Amino acid sequence: MAKYIISRLLQSLFVLFGLSLLIFFIARVMPGDPARVALGSLATHEQVQNFREEMHLDKPFPVQYYFWLRSLLRGDLGKSLYTRRPVTTDLKAYIPATLELILISFIMSLVIGQVTGVLAGYFRNSWFDGLSRLISYIGVATPAFAVAIFFLLFFTYTLNLAPAVGRLSLAAVPPPRITGFFILDSVIAGKFGTALEGLKHIFLPAASLAVANIAQEGRITRTSIAENLQKDYVIAHTVYGIPRWSILFKYLLRPSLIPTVSVMGLAFAYQLSNAFLVELVFMWPGFSRYAVTVMLNKDLNAIVAVVLVIGVAFFLVNVIVDIVVSFLDPRIRLQRTGG
Amino acid sequence: MTPLLEIKNLQVRFKIYEGELKVLNGVDMVIGEGEKVGLVGETGCGKTTTVKSVLRVLPTPPARISGGEILYRGKDILKMKPAQIRSLRKGEMSAIFQDPLAALNPVFTVGHQLYDVIKYSSASRGRKRLSKKEIRARSIAVLKETGMPDSERILSNYPIQLSGGMRQRVCISEALSASARLLMADEPTTNLDVTIQAQILRQLSELVAKKKSSILLISHSLGVVRNLTERVYIMYAGNMVEVARTKDLFADPLHPYTKALLKSVPKLTGEGISRGIRGRIPNYLNPPAGCRFHPRCDHMMPICEKERPAFFTGGDSDNHKVACFLCRR
Amino acid sequence: MKKELLVAALSRSRASFSKGWYKFSRNPLSVLGLIILFSVILTAIFAPYISPYPEHAGAFTNFRESGLPPSLTHFFGTDSVGRDIFSRVIFGYRFSLVLAVVVLSLAMPSGIILGLIAGYYRRRWIEIVIMRITDIFLAVPPLVLALAITVMLSPNLFNQMMAISLMWWPWYCRLVYSLTTSLRHEYFVREAELTGASKAHILLREILPNCVAPVLTKMTLDAGFVITVGASLSFIGLGVQPPRPGLGTMVADGAKRLPAEWWMAVFPALAIVIVILSFNLVGDGLRDMFAVEEV
Repeated sequence: MAKYIISRLLQSLFVLFGLSLLIFFIARVMPGDPARVALGSLATHEQVQNFREEMHLDKPFPVQYYFWLRSLLRGDLGKSLYTRRPVTTDLKAYIPATLELILISFIMSLVIGQVTGVLAGYFRNSWFDGLSRLISYIGVATPAFAVAIFFLLFFTYTLNLAPAVGRLSLAAVPPPRITGFFILDSVIAGKFGTALEGLKHIFLPAASLAVANIAQEGRITRTSIAENLQKDYVIAHTVYGIPRWSILFKYLLRPSLIPTVSVMGLAFAYQLSNAFLVELVFMWPGFSRYAVTVMLNKDLNAIVAVVLVIGVAFFLVNVIVDIVVSFLDPRIRLQRTGG
Repeated sequence: MTPLLEIKNLQVRFKIYEGELKVLNGVDMVIGEGEKVGLVGETGCGKTTTVKSVLRVLPTPPARISGGEILYRGKDILKMKPAQIRSLRKGEMSAIFQDPLAALNPVFTVGHQLYDVIKYSSASRGRKRLSKKEIRARSIAVLKETGMPDSERILSNYPIQLSGGMRQRVCISEALSASARLLMADEPTTNLDVTIQAQILRQLSELVAKKKSSILLISHSLGVVRNLTERVYIMYAGNMVEVARTKDLFADPLHPYTKALLKSVPKLTGEGISRGIRGRIPNYLNPPAGCRFHPRCDHMMPICEKERPAFFTGGDSDNHKVACFLCRR
Repeated sequence: MKKELLVAALSRSRASFSKGWYKFSRNPLSVLGLIILFSVILTAIFAPYISPYPEHAGAFTNFRESGLPPSLTHFFGTDSVGRDIFSRVIFGYRFSLVLAVVVLSLAMPSGIILGLIAGYYRRRWIEIVIMRITDIFLAVPPLVLALAITVMLSPNLFNQMMAISLMWWPWYCRLVYSLTTSLRHEYFVREAELTGASKAHILLREILPNCVAPVLTKMTLDAGFVITVGASLSFIGLGVQPPRPGLGTMVADGAKRLPAEWWMAVFPALAIVIVILSFNLVGDGLRDMFAVEEV
C-alpha cells in the first residue's frame, strides 16, 4: 500500500507540474498586458514597468516559470495582481468556507443517495424505484446554477424557509476562527445560536450542490444492488439460511458500495466545479467565488494557484477513494500488496 | 421407500424481450429418503432451474412457475409461506452450486461467511445459541471433514486466494454445516480438474452417507453419476426422458437420447472419438411440438411431432421408465 | 470481469438495427427523449420561422413591454428590455446545439485517434507521452480549466468552444485507449497483423469499428454535458455575449430580477434542463441498446 501511494504521489507531482506549465503557457498566449490589467488604465508607464519587473513579467517564459517554481518550493505562490496580497493569504481566507460547503453537501448526497439507491435496487420496478429514477433523471440534467435558482425561488422566496445569501446574516458576529468552519467554530465557542444560523445559511447552497450527486450516486448504487442481487452468492446465502436483512445490509451492501465509492473522486470534482456557480448565486464568500473573480481579472499568479489547489484536492480525494475501495474490496487490496 | 421430495409436472417459464421461454415443460421426479439420485443432461436442459425451483430461489420475474407441484414430505413447497421456506432451508434442504467462486461472496473472508452460515442454521431449531468459540471450532471441523488442508488458516482468507478445489470444499462445508436431509449438488466438480474432481466427489458421497442424507447429484457427465448414485434421471430440454436404476440404465439404455449420450462418452478401448449427437438443444422460445427431441432423433416417427410421450415402462424392471413412443407397447 | 463485459458489449454492437431499435424503444423514456431532442433540433434550425418575434433575438428594445409576465402573446413573458423570452430561448438553442456539435466534432476525432495510437503502441514512448498529457488535462474538472482558458483568450462564443474542446478530447482518448488495449490481443487483430495489414488498416478498420458502441453512447451523454458546461460558462458571463441570446446568459440576467420577475430566469433554465434531459434519455436508450441482455 505504501509503495502504491508513493508511486501515485510521484505521478501526481508530474501531473501538477504539467498543469502549471500548461496554465503558464496559455497565459502567454493571452492578449493584453497583465500588468496593465492589474494596475488599471490610470497607472503611469513607469509604475507599470516597475510592477512588471517586480513580477518578472519582463523576462522570457522559461525564466518566469523558473522564478515561480523556485518560490513555490519555499511555499510562496506569489502575489495576487488583483488583491495585492500573497496568494497563500487569500487561499487561507477563502478555502474553509468552500470546504465546509462541500463537506456538508457531500454528507447529504452520500446519505440520501445511498439510501434511495439501496431501496430502489432492492425494490426495483416498484413505484419507489420509478419515482426515484424519474427524479434522478431530472437531477442529473439540471445544471447546478439552475438548481440553485429553483431552490432559491422555492425555499427562500416562496416558503421563506432559508436565507438567500452569505454564510451568516449581516448582523451576526462570526465565531472566533479556529478551523474556519463557521458551524464547527460556533459549536466550539459555545455559540449555538450562531451555529444554527450557519446551518440555516449553508442548507440551500449545500443542497443545490448535492442534487446532481444524489442523482448520480443513487443510480449507480441502484444498478449495482440490482446486479448483485442476481449473483450466485446471494442465492447461496439464502439457501444456507442467512436472514434477508443480513444479506441485504451486509453481504450485498459491501460489494455494491465499491462502484459508488469508486466514482466519488469524480463526484467530488463535479461538486468542486459546481461550487463555482452555486457560490455565485448564493454569494458564498468561498474559494470558488475567489477563483471566478481572479479568473475574470486575469490574475495570473492567483489563477495558477487556484488551478493547482483544485488539482491537489482532486488528487487527495482520489487517493482517499482508492484507499477506501481497497479496504472494501480485498481483490484490489491483495493485488496491491502482491499477495 | 418413502419419498422425501416429489416433483410433479413442474413447468417454469422465463420472460424475455422476444417472448416467453418455456424452459421446464412438465418435470417429474422422486427422491426417496436417504437415496442417491443422479440427474444428467446437456448444459442448458433445465437442471439448475429445477434445483432453484425446489429451493424457491428462482428470480421471479423473469422466471415464472406456471404449473405443477413440488412436494417435500408431502407438503407443497410452492404454496408455503416465506417463513416455512426459510425453516426448510435451515435444516432440511441445502445445495452446492456449480461455480464455487461465484457462490462465495468476494469481499468477505471464508471464515466470516462460514461463521454466519453456522450461526443462523444452528439457531433455527430451538437449540441454544452457539458461542463464538464453538462456531469457530465447528467451522474448522466442517472444513476438515471435506479434506481441507490447513483449515484454520483458510478461515482468514478471501475466496480469490484459494484454488478451485479449495473453494469448492468451502462451498461443500457451507452446504453441509446445515446438516440437511436433502442435498442438491449442481455440477459440483465441473470447474475442477479431473484428479480433484474424483477426490471431492468421493469425500462428498462419504459425508452424505455418514449423515444418511439424500443427495441429488447433477452432472452432464455420465461417468460421475455412474459411480455415485443408485438411480438416474436423464433430462432433455425441460423434460425427463428416462429414469432407471443406475446399473440398468447403463446396461440397457432405451431412449434414443440416452443411447446417444452414452455413445458420445470417449472410450478407452480405442474406438475413436464418438460422433456426438447431431443438432443442438432446441430454442425454448418456440420449442418443437410433441417430443422435444424429435428434430435430433434418428428414429423419428410421425406421432413424435404431434404428441408428447408419456412415461412408458421399459426394460426388465418396473422402475425403468422411458418417455419415448418407441417403447410404447 | 471488465473484459468479459466489454467483449460482450462489443459483439452486441454488431447486432442488427431492427433489434437495436426494438431494444431502444422498449424504454418509453428513451423514445420520449428522442422525440424531444428532434423537436429541439428542428426548432433551432427553423428558429427564424418558428419564433413569434425573430427580431427579438438581437439588440431589440421595447421598454413599454419590458417585464411582462407570461401570457398568450408572450408565452415565457418578456425580459427587462421588452424582448420576448420564448423567441430568445428558441434562438438560444441554436448556440447550445452548435456548441455541442462543434466541441464534439473537434474533441471526438482527435481523442479517438490519440486513444487508438496510445492503446495500440502499449509500453512505447508514444503511449507514455499521450497518456501523461491526458492525465494533465484530466487532473482538474473540465469546467475549471475551460473557465481559465476562456478568460485568458478573451471571453466569447468562439473561444468558449475552443476551450471546451480542448478540455474534452482526453475523455475520448482515455475511453478508446482502454478499449484498444483490451482489443489488441483479440484474434481478429492478431490475424490482420499476421496477414501484413497496415497499421492504419488495423487501427481504423479492425479496432475502431468495435469502439463504436461505447463511443456513441458517451457522445450522446456528453452532448448534454457539454451544453451544461457551456451554459455554466455563459452564466458566469464567458460565453455568448449580449445582445445575442445565450441560455446561460439569460438565466444570469434573469437571476438578478428574482423573485418578482421570476420568469426571466426560470424559463431559460427549464429550456436548458429539457435539452440536457433529452440527450441523457437518448444516451441511456443507446446504452440499453448496446448492453448485454441480462437473464
